[in-house]
Amino acid sequence: MPLRRQRARGVEGRDDRPARWPETVPARDEDEAVWSREQFVARAVVAGGALAAGGVLVAGLPRLAASAPSAAQDAKILNFALLLEYIEAAFYSEAVAKGKLTGDLLDYATTVRDHERAHVAFLKKALGGSARKKPKLEFGDKTSDPKKFTAAAIALEETVIAAYNGQAANLTKPTLAQAATIVSVEARHAAWIRALSGKDPAPTATDKPKTASEVQADVNRTGFVRST
Amino acid sequence: MPDLTLDELDRDGAIRETLEEVSGDTRAAFLGKAAVGGAALLGALAAPGRADAAAASDVAILNYALTLEYLQSSFYTEAERLGAIKGKLARIPRQLGSVERAHVSAIKGALGRAAVKRPAFDFKGVTENQTKFLKTAVAFEDLGAAAYKGQAARIKSPALLAAAISIHSVEARHAAWMRFLAGATPAATAFDEGKSIPQVRSIVASTHFIAAHPKKRARRKPKYTG
Repeated sequence: MPLRRQRARGVEGRDDRPARWPETVPARDEDEAVWSREQFVARAVVAGGALAAGGVLVAGLPRLAASAPSAAQDAKILNFALLLEYIEAAFYSEAVAKGKLTGDLLDYATTVRDHERAHVAFLKKALGGSARKKPKLEFGDKTSDPKKFTAAAIALEETVIAAYNGQAANLTKPTLAQAATIVSVEARHAAWIRALSGKDPAPTATDKPKTASEVQADVNRTGFVRST
Repeated sequence: MPDLTLDELDRDGAIRETLEEVSGDTRAAFLGKAAVGGAALLGALAAPGRADAAAASDVAILNYALTLEYLQSSFYTEAERLGAIKGKLARIPRQLGSVERAHVSAIKGALGRAAVKRPAFDFKGVTENQTKFLKTAVAFEDLGAAAYKGQAARIKSPALLAAAISIHSVEARHAAWMRFLAGATPAATAFDEGKSIPQVRSIVASTHFIAAHPKKRARRKPKYTG
């Protein structure tokens, strides 16, 4: 088909519709479910106070039943997220500190380290007294060998995306709104490190969620968590 | 069980074209079947009758998402057909077009007859200019991620939420990827803020990509197949 005619018709030339947004779209956003990060932290601290911090670390992750969202369940899920963010933050911090990464990889590790630290700080603040303690972590040569670092970073980021996505429907709406601001940053990290390593940054049309136990198995498989 | 891959979902838009040949409820049922397996999430979106049972606000949000997916998919599809995007960007129109078309198909399937029609688009040449194409792709993908995020807490159905959130992170991957190709930082901040419907509408309106009138430049009348 000659180029000119394709262009003239446009991609969807047969769709003879005037320009407009769907009439069904609400005129205004009802943002009552979306609080500012500060409001969220202020409320979640109160809500989380009722929950005891998780017991033995990886083996003892709270069972996250798909029951109706509640403040108590939010706190369990946020503590679960906090474990993952602790691992990520420590992993990148150590990788940068060891000084074996250079160039684009170092840029990536430094930027992402700061993001993961911010996520840890946010979740700790939100959980207040019920925030779990940072576990003892060991990364071996995965924070010094660039190839191993890259593979571990991809695995970590993918696990965390799947973990957040898997819990989305279990969260209350205000907590979900906050979690959503984190998960897309994790997705950006995953795409970034995959691009750096020549892998397809976005290989699927949806990011498959994982259940808490699937994520737990992933975390156990890394061997990074050594003690509570 | 195979994972959800581009090729399975919509190779060259074949699924979409097939779907357009079948009608109404049959289309949703077909998509539901086609998506069973690894494509569980998009399958959930496409379950027949879902839209009938959905809250009116969920239908409105899905139609809003559909309009943005129309915008993205039409953009990449046009770029692929024009064939002017080369070099390091050469695979982008085809690959991202395939994903965005899959999103369109899934959301349309979920909405059935409640789905809004595809607007007429006029991309004003950006689909055949390397630099403008990439800049637009960055903007579209950042916008897509922010738009889904802005609605996440407003979706009532847990199944629709699970599907939407799993699309949301893919839009964020695309945004990071396009930024990477553009030499910008793929993840600029520790938290990605969402955008409200009015914010997104105003950004899209500012592009003037949604044509005021259907294109009339064709020498021949377009064929109406529907």
